[in-house]
Amino acid sequence: VSRRRASEKRSTEMGNKRAEKKHDKHHKTTRKEGEKDRKRPRRRNADEEEAEEESSKEKKNIKNERTKTVKLEDEKEKDVKKKRKNSESESHSESNSDAESKDNQAVGVLGSLTPEELEQLKEAVDERKKLITTLKGKPWPMKKKLVILRESQEFVEKYEGALGKGKGRKLYAYKVLMMKKWMKFQRDLENFKTACIPWEMKIKEIESHFGSSVASYFIFLRWMYGINMILFGLTFGLVMVPEALMGKPYGSMPRKTVPRVEEASAMNFAVLWDFGGYAKYSVLFYGYYNNQRAIGWLKFRMPLSYFLVGVGTVAYSYMVVIRTMARNANEEGGGDDTSFNFSWKTFTSWDYLIGNPETADNKFASITTSFKEAIVEEQESRKDDNIHLTRFLRVLANFLVLCCLAGSGYLIYFVVRRSQKFALEGLENYGWWERNEVNMVMSLLGMFCPMLFDVISTLENYHPRIALQWQLGRIFALFLGNLYTFIIALMDAIQLKRAEEEIVKKNMTIWQANLYNGTVPDNSTALPITVHPADVPRGPCWETMVGQEFVRLIISDTMTTYITLLIGDFLRAVLVRFLNNCWCWDLEYGFPSYSEFDVSGNVLGLIFNQGMIWMGAFYAPCLPALNLLRLHVSMYLQCWAVMCCNVPQERVFKASGSSNFYMAMLLVILFLSTLPAIYTIVSIPPSFDCGPFSGKNRMFDVIQETLETDFPAWFSKVFSYASNPGLVLSFLLLLVLAIYYLQSTSKTYKRVNMELKKKLQTQNEENKRKNKLAALKAANELEQAKKAGEQCSNSASDLGESTQNVSQLP
Amino acid sequence: MVSPAIALAFLPLLLTLIIRYRYFFVLLYRAVLIRWVRDCLTGLSREERAFQYILTHATPGDVQSILDTFDHWCSKVEFISNIGPKKGHKHTHTLTHLSSSCEHCPITVLELGTHCGYSTVRIARSLPIGARIYSVEMDEGNARVAEKIIRLAGFDEDMVELIVRPSDEVIPRLREDFGVERLDLVFMDHWKRCYLPDLQLLEGSGLLGEGSIILADNVIFPGAPNFLRHARSSGLYEVRVHRATLEYIRGIRDGMAELTFLGIK
Repeated sequence: VSRRRASEKRSTEMGNKRAEKKHDKHHKTTRKEGEKDRKRPRRRNADEEEAEEESSKEKKNIKNERTKTVKLEDEKEKDVKKKRKNSESESHSESNSDAESKDNQAVGVLGSLTPEELEQLKEAVDERKKLITTLKGKPWPMKKKLVILRESQEFVEKYEGALGKGKGRKLYAYKVLMMKKWMKFQRDLENFKTACIPWEMKIKEIESHFGSSVASYFIFLRWMYGINMILFGLTFGLVMVPEALMGKPYGSMPRKTVPRVEEASAMNFAVLWDFGGYAKYSVLFYGYYNNQRAIGWLKFRMPLSYFLVGVGTVAYSYMVVIRTMARNANEEGGGDDTSFNFSWKTFTSWDYLIGNPETADNKFASITTSFKEAIVEEQESRKDDNIHLTRFLRVLANFLVLCCLAGSGYLIYFVVRRSQKFALEGLENYGWWERNEVNMVMSLLGMFCPMLFDVISTLENYHPRIALQWQLGRIFALFLGNLYTFIIALMDAIQLKRAEEEIVKKNMTIWQANLYNGTVPDNSTALPITVHPADVPRGPCWETMVGQEFVRLIISDTMTTYITLLIGDFLRAVLVRFLNNCWCWDLEYGFPSYSEFDVSGNVLGLIFNQGMIWMGAFYAPCLPALNLLRLHVSMYLQCWAVMCCNVPQERVFKASGSSNFYMAMLLVILFLSTLPAIYTIVSIPPSFDCGPFSGKNRMFDVIQETLETDFPAWFSKVFSYASNPGLVLSFLLLLVLAIYYLQSTSKTYKRVNMELKKKLQTQNEENKRKNKLAALKAANELEQAKKAGEQCSNSASDLGESTQNVSQLP
Repeated sequence: MVSPAIALAFLPLLLTLIIRYRYFFVLLYRAVLIRWVRDCLTGLSREERAFQYILTHATPGDVQSILDTFDHWCSKVEFISNIGPKKGHKHTHTLTHLSSSCEHCPITVLELGTHCGYSTVRIARSLPIGARIYSVEMDEGNARVAEKIIRLAGFDEDMVELIVRPSDEVIPRLREDFGVERLDLVFMDHWKRCYLPDLQLLEGSGLLGEGSIILADNVIFPGAPNFLRHARSSGLYEVRVHRATLEYIRGIRDGMAELTFLGIK
């Protein structure tokens, strides 16, 4: 603070000097005025842009502004002083102006100035520049600021290029020009970068209308989109495209051909959402890939690439999530910044550089919302109710929610058991309802139970932010239960398929034997018989089945979301809006009203959707692509829906966009969704006749194979040594120790930070107290001085009267 | 056939709807079902039943007792959409404010929708001497009951004039038939659909002077959105909406609009 004060002082002093100098140069400038007039309008634009840039810089360090507001008074004093000095200097310069004008005539042009004058000019220009940068913090009215800005920028324009001498001068001018160009380029680049952030404007608009909690969902959605982009790039670029371009074409092998039985229905319309038929026997699913070690002229290691991409996507996701969490943890930083919350908001909220009326409206709305949020928070923190009743209600609410969860769990269990029964008896005997029962029930429960939780949570009377977290936790439990029930059902299905596979394997040998026995003479050396690949019997390929299930789940989930959106939000909004004119009560305020945006449900939907992607992506490489499509559509659809048919929540509140809560949930889901995937990869042998790992005992054998055949012998030896349990264990131990060490150090740093902050605060308070005391003292002294002065004047007047008396006397 | 499991999955939705809109169900039960049953059982209309109850339970001539009995009947026995004690308090407040601001001039009140006379009695109670209420009711049966109740409360024809005609016929003829020069207070509690046309009629008749107050009940539920929109956008009024809950039923939000006529400039 003291440094700052010093700099302010210096700047004011410099300002005075500059004022003098400006007057000196006034005469010289008038001559050039005519020439420059033409250029002025353009320059003014540039000036404004610069001003904008300055203020945007200012905005970035809002924290400085707090100190600035504290320093308001100081600066005012200085301002007054400065004005006085200015007026003095003006009068001074006016008296001198005659002599100077003679000088100027003698000097003629700028180039022939004395070095001292040049030096002074340079200083003045620097001074102006400094003024421009610090202008926004000055406690002046807007008009004065604008006038000063314009003046000083013109001044700088005029003299900047003219400084320097002879050859050096030209170079200097060129340098300045280039600097300006460079600055402009940088600014444009910055603007371009902001424009490149996808959906930024949309999200800002939503934030201004609905508050930060709704915006945080959309920011999260955008972040998710970015991650899925990478996942999609990996699977598409390293798995799907190579296989499509270089792998064996469709129809060359049994696994790449639609079997004879399915051929009739392979092009049905239902393929679009069932992903059977031709879609099933394409690069979209695991089963299509061949176990050939290297494909194409590039010798692309397909199975290895498939395995590594599967592992890599998961590893990448872990890395990103954890890195984001760490970064957010840094931002939170501990300590409370909540003191002086309202004055903060009052003085620093408005952005003075908004020129667009629409944006200004938005900003206005957003500031109003943020004030509402702050007030609600303040109210919440001051309220105190009957604590026993509240506790009882909270326990009751949790009990009800538990009942609800148990009920929904049982229902899904029941449905899954029933569907297994159906599957055993053959699905063909049952109708559409029975076949899609599991998906339907899961979607419906996932849709309706959160509503019930929401209603129950009004019992608890929490602050909306905490209520949101509880709600999130409950829906999380619900979704997790649903998902794991689904996975357990899937595991059962895998066991069934594997049993079927065994039978097929046996039949296969018999079929082959029959083939050869029946048609080929014993002594034949002729060509082997060619059977069309569609006719060859084949195993059930459980991996494709798993992938297909996940794809179907994603699609039904997406459909449910969109249909809910269209019916629950859009249709409702339309009905409310247009029936309101001819209805017997007010639909907009009363019974149905418009819907609110459901942050918790949407966030969890997104997270679980991602979980399914992580789980299924290994068996269906098309999943990231589908998800990308879904997220893209979601972004537009939900942005539109939220602006078009939702109303802001009644209790607007703040949820930090970088909240670690979502991230923690995402991490848990990531972990939980990798578990089953890893389990299937590690413990179940791959199908014998489909997929890149067919014929191997386990899927990860592909690594060993690569090590043995593609690397030199010493490498595999080294690897085998390195994978020695003793070495691995000690390495793990080292890792754990390192983690522990780092964690403890980071904790210490945090504590030290907190203490430093506290220290600063106490110091600040101490200073304030001291200042107050000093001010009090000064006031006292002033009082005394005044009294003394009055006494003096009294005595003086007495004296005057007496002299008058004396004068009247004669 | 839809399987029972899918039907069961709709149970949470059903529960949610029931819990969220429980007050509306209570209202439906009390205002419609009970009324229907009682109508069939007794053969009397709801208003007549209310009158019988008041006749047997309240002290004639005691306004407070009549109002209390009415409130009791509406909240405990059956439901009639009256203005209720809470909003009525606001009412009284406005009236006292009016009469204190204008000491000498006789206050003229127009009430649209007398129904059972509950609000008429409430207004009449807090009016100064010399004030006059014109109460408009369309339905003859209701008007008969209202008249009985008003007389029971002890207000005579000089104070309360009951007009049994539709409001849109009455308003243009107020000046000619009843010699009204200026309305100080207009209280609207009739059909919500008629709020806007009646307000426009009032504007056209020139009976509203500067400072005239228009109170409109139930502007949120059942609601009169067009009325509010007009009042806000016309610029003739200073609009305030007092938020409250629906009378005799907790949990349903409602509001009473207070329009102060600013005069035509």
